[in-house]
Amino acid sequence: MSTQVQTASTASSGVAPLVEMRDISIAFGGIKAVDHATVDLYPGEVVGLLGHNGAGKSTLIKVLSGAYKRDHGTIRINGEEATINNPRDAKHYGIETIYQTLALADNVDAASNLFLGRELLTPWGTLDDSAMEAQARQVMGRLNPNFRRFKDPVKSLSGGQRQSVAIARAIHFNARILIMDEPTAALGPQETAQVGELIKQLKAEGIGIFLISHDIHDVFDLADRVSVMKNGQVVGMGAVKDMTKDEVLGMIILGKCPPGATPGPGAMLSN
Amino acid sequence: MASAVTSAPTTTAPVEPALRRFLRATEVDTRMIGMIVALLLIWSGFHVYGAVSSGSSIFSAAGNFISPRNLWNLMVQTSSIAVMTSGMVLIIVMRHIDLSVGSILGFAAMITGVAQARWLPAALGLGSPMIWILGVLIAVAVGAAIGALNGFLVAYLGIPAFIVTLGGLLFWRGAAWWVATGATVAPMDETFQIIGSGAIGATSSWILGALACAAVAAGLYAGRRRRARFNFPQRPIWAEVLLAGVGFLIVLAATWTVNDYFWPPGVVKAYAAAHNIAVPEGGLEIPYGYAVPVLIALVTGAVMTFFAARTRFGRYVYAIGGNPEAAELAGVNTRKITMLAFMVMGGLAGISACISTARLNAATNALGTFDELYVIAAAVIGGTSLAGGVGTIYGAILGALVMQSLQSGMVLLGFDSAYQQMVVGVVLVSAVWLDTLYRKRTA
Amino acid sequence: MKSAKTLLIGAALFASTSVTSVAAMAKDVVVGVSWSNFQEERWKTDEAAIKGALSASGAKYISADAQASAAKQLTDVESLISKGANVLIILAMDADAIGPAVKKATDEGIPVIAYDREIENPGALYITFDNVGVGRMMAKAILEAKPAGNYAFIKGDKGDPNSTFLFSGITEVLKPAMDAGKIKNVGEVFTDGWKPDNAQKNMEQLLTKNNNKIDAVVSENDGMAGGVVAALTAQGLAGSVPVSGQDGDHAAINRIALGTQTVSIWKDSRDLGKVAGEAAVALAGGKKMADIANVKPFSGGAKHVTVNGILLTPLAVTKDNLDVIISKGWITKDEVCAGVKAGAVAVCK
Repeated sequence: MSTQVQTASTASSGVAPLVEMRDISIAFGGIKAVDHATVDLYPGEVVGLLGHNGAGKSTLIKVLSGAYKRDHGTIRINGEEATINNPRDAKHYGIETIYQTLALADNVDAASNLFLGRELLTPWGTLDDSAMEAQARQVMGRLNPNFRRFKDPVKSLSGGQRQSVAIARAIHFNARILIMDEPTAALGPQETAQVGELIKQLKAEGIGIFLISHDIHDVFDLADRVSVMKNGQVVGMGAVKDMTKDEVLGMIILGKCPPGATPGPGAMLSN
Repeated sequence: MASAVTSAPTTTAPVEPALRRFLRATEVDTRMIGMIVALLLIWSGFHVYGAVSSGSSIFSAAGNFISPRNLWNLMVQTSSIAVMTSGMVLIIVMRHIDLSVGSILGFAAMITGVAQARWLPAALGLGSPMIWILGVLIAVAVGAAIGALNGFLVAYLGIPAFIVTLGGLLFWRGAAWWVATGATVAPMDETFQIIGSGAIGATSSWILGALACAAVAAGLYAGRRRRARFNFPQRPIWAEVLLAGVGFLIVLAATWTVNDYFWPPGVVKAYAAAHNIAVPEGGLEIPYGYAVPVLIALVTGAVMTFFAARTRFGRYVYAIGGNPEAAELAGVNTRKITMLAFMVMGGLAGISACISTARLNAATNALGTFDELYVIAAAVIGGTSLAGGVGTIYGAILGALVMQSLQSGMVLLGFDSAYQQMVVGVVLVSAVWLDTLYRKRTA
Repeated sequence: MKSAKTLLIGAALFASTSVTSVAAMAKDVVVGVSWSNFQEERWKTDEAAIKGALSASGAKYISADAQASAAKQLTDVESLISKGANVLIILAMDADAIGPAVKKATDEGIPVIAYDREIENPGALYITFDNVGVGRMMAKAILEAKPAGNYAFIKGDKGDPNSTFLFSGITEVLKPAMDAGKIKNVGEVFTDGWKPDNAQKNMEQLLTKNNNKIDAVVSENDGMAGGVVAALTAQGLAGSVPVSGQDGDHAAINRIALGTQTVSIWKDSRDLGKVAGEAAVALAGGKKMADIANVKPFSGGAKHVTVNGILLTPLAVTKDNLDVIISKGWITKDEVCAGVKAGAVAVCK
């Protein structure tokens, strides 16, 4: 129940959450994709976001990454209200995202994707491709030691290689907050395990991670807390250790909030 | 191929055919080689056909396709389209299109024509050296402003580029007529005319050729140095030497060609009379050297290639073309880049307006009609994909040269313009078909 | 559209004021003019000339613009009749489609003038320039300047029947000299869109092909002549090779004064308007078509119907008669003489 205390009164506990999204709403043409959702994230913590397709988890997270502009609600970073209107703003706050679609420019090479929007420049203001490639070799070496195809456009790479480019891009710029939207969807078991290791490593470095997944086992292995969404609303949020997998499945499918979790506006009224 | 290398070193790499190993070592664009071969085939085809049909020797230069004079003309005739196509590549790479370039050219041409023939002489006095400078600036500024407007409508108001520029095609053509109610404005300023019909002479051409060779060598050397700095694999030395050799050869052959085209006797006589030079018995041989419009097109191509390959702007243009959403999510200000690209395109149409008016020594409101089609066709023949994300500026310029070669060659051989259009149409479609095959093979 | 409307309103205002001012002359001639498409620039000049001729005799001017619609023109003609027009000047949008309206007018005894475009109805008086003659005049002027040698022909757009039409007039004149072997055709090309820059490229190729051995160039209009002269200038040949043109473009007239172009065939549309206006007044006054000055039978149309026609002769502008075109107010002396050395031609002293 400690998490509940923290969420309810951050001021009294003294530790401000890394991210606090409060009362977020966003609608597309009359359909409420996210409806008064509230989630938070602490340094060195992994929060799993669960829910069916279309439950609103990806949309909620795109509000944080600046891809969507919210209609309502506030975002606080380290306790201070943050202005996030576009991806540039989000990156400014140290928020990095690995999108489900990977969001790679398929026609350019790995280094260009890695540094897209944050290119290294020579003293003359031109692109320093060699420096970028050298750094790309370093970070990719850490994630995928066998990777050699630095000159090829990323569309010719395998799913796993593409995934590592997207991950490399997110972790290379000293992110404080990492959003991972289905990071293992395109990966085999071995690579999935690698990503798991990476998440633990990043967590140990004090990075806060939002992990979005349809795979409840992944989330149970890696997350400290989970937040379940249904029809755009938060069903409930609670620590993994206080819930069983069946209880979480009940939240996802029925919207039933178990006693181990704090109910949200989307929770079915229990009798 | 590369994946074979990345896999464990224990597996024996398949024996590469010599040609493929050669291409990989030199890292040249095989597509470009294909285009150059096609161009040479077209040239020799016209040359042989022309010589055979007129009964002259294929080695005689007079009246034949591969002669310094015809090649010189060909380059000049290509320059206006070449300038514009280097901008069109970026527009098409971004998955947009600009149908208004011909009309922008027409409007900018009329504005600069009227400015030079009427406004500026009245304000500065006839023959003032400021006239040509202002004439150029006006044309480029008008073009860039219209391009920026196009870009604004596309990027910020979300109107499809096809529609915006189709509207522009109509609007600016009408506006070009309106500037002087359809009248032809002539003549242009004396100095301004050099932009379209001047040439720099033999000495300057050799100096320029030497500088170009030095630039090729310096570029290759800098590349090696850069790779060495980061311990990247180097090209074999023989490949570097070969590339430098081919570069030198092209530059020197081009320089020799333009220096082998001499002033016609009429021009020499007028020049001699004006400068009190006695013309010797055999006549004076004064070589033309590089034509100014060709140099403008080459410099434009080089500058645009630099922007495309070595600046953030160019990188973003290609990234947006590859995946607009990804570029936006990566924090690229895609709207600003889109607007900028259209503005550059408009500015280039302004430069082409200067070349066209200076060459014709007149501004007419029909100038640039249908140029948009040739500019787009050049880019597409040169390998720019209408699906976005792919295209090179040198390819597009080569494409423009291929198209102009076909047109000029057919006039030279006495074919009617109807055949020219048919042939260009066939070439356009076959080029794209071959490209599709090529991409399937290499993907 | 908008500009066409304001023009119409302007025309109507103009018409009404002229009516009040000349009402005292008490002539009841009302001339109805049906324009095919008033947005085209040149008709403003024609309208002014027609109006000038009408106001000289106190006739009233009313008009309608079909805005490029043949259907609208039919109703236009009817409404002009119902507004009281007792003579019609029609610039037909479609020479065949206008037939019923012309028949209706002639049935009611209203004389019709077919302005610039023939209407093949014997009841309509056809007033135009002698178009066949333009090609002949070009060829004659060039033949005078260069009776023998290599001729190049820069034709207009291949899709425009006028290009071929002009060319047949040109060859008609040159044929004897060609048959005699004095003139050699060393190249003829169509020019897409009549564009000067295309003409320039084509001329460059012809010069290359013939190794500059071209002695005269027949270009079918002034714009293309500009491109030809630019190509000749690059070879130092401008001024020594005669070049033709037509339209009386200001730039071309200037080239004639400079000596780089030989002739421009000029059709003064004000003459056409004046003649039409005067003929309209005469017809309204009861004069028979055949009795009007210069009327001759004409049967050169598509269906070879014989109609009464007045064919005006265009003016061949050369360096010797530049004063004529200046005195007609088409172009100022300053424009003609821009950049011309003093005394090089008579008008530029």
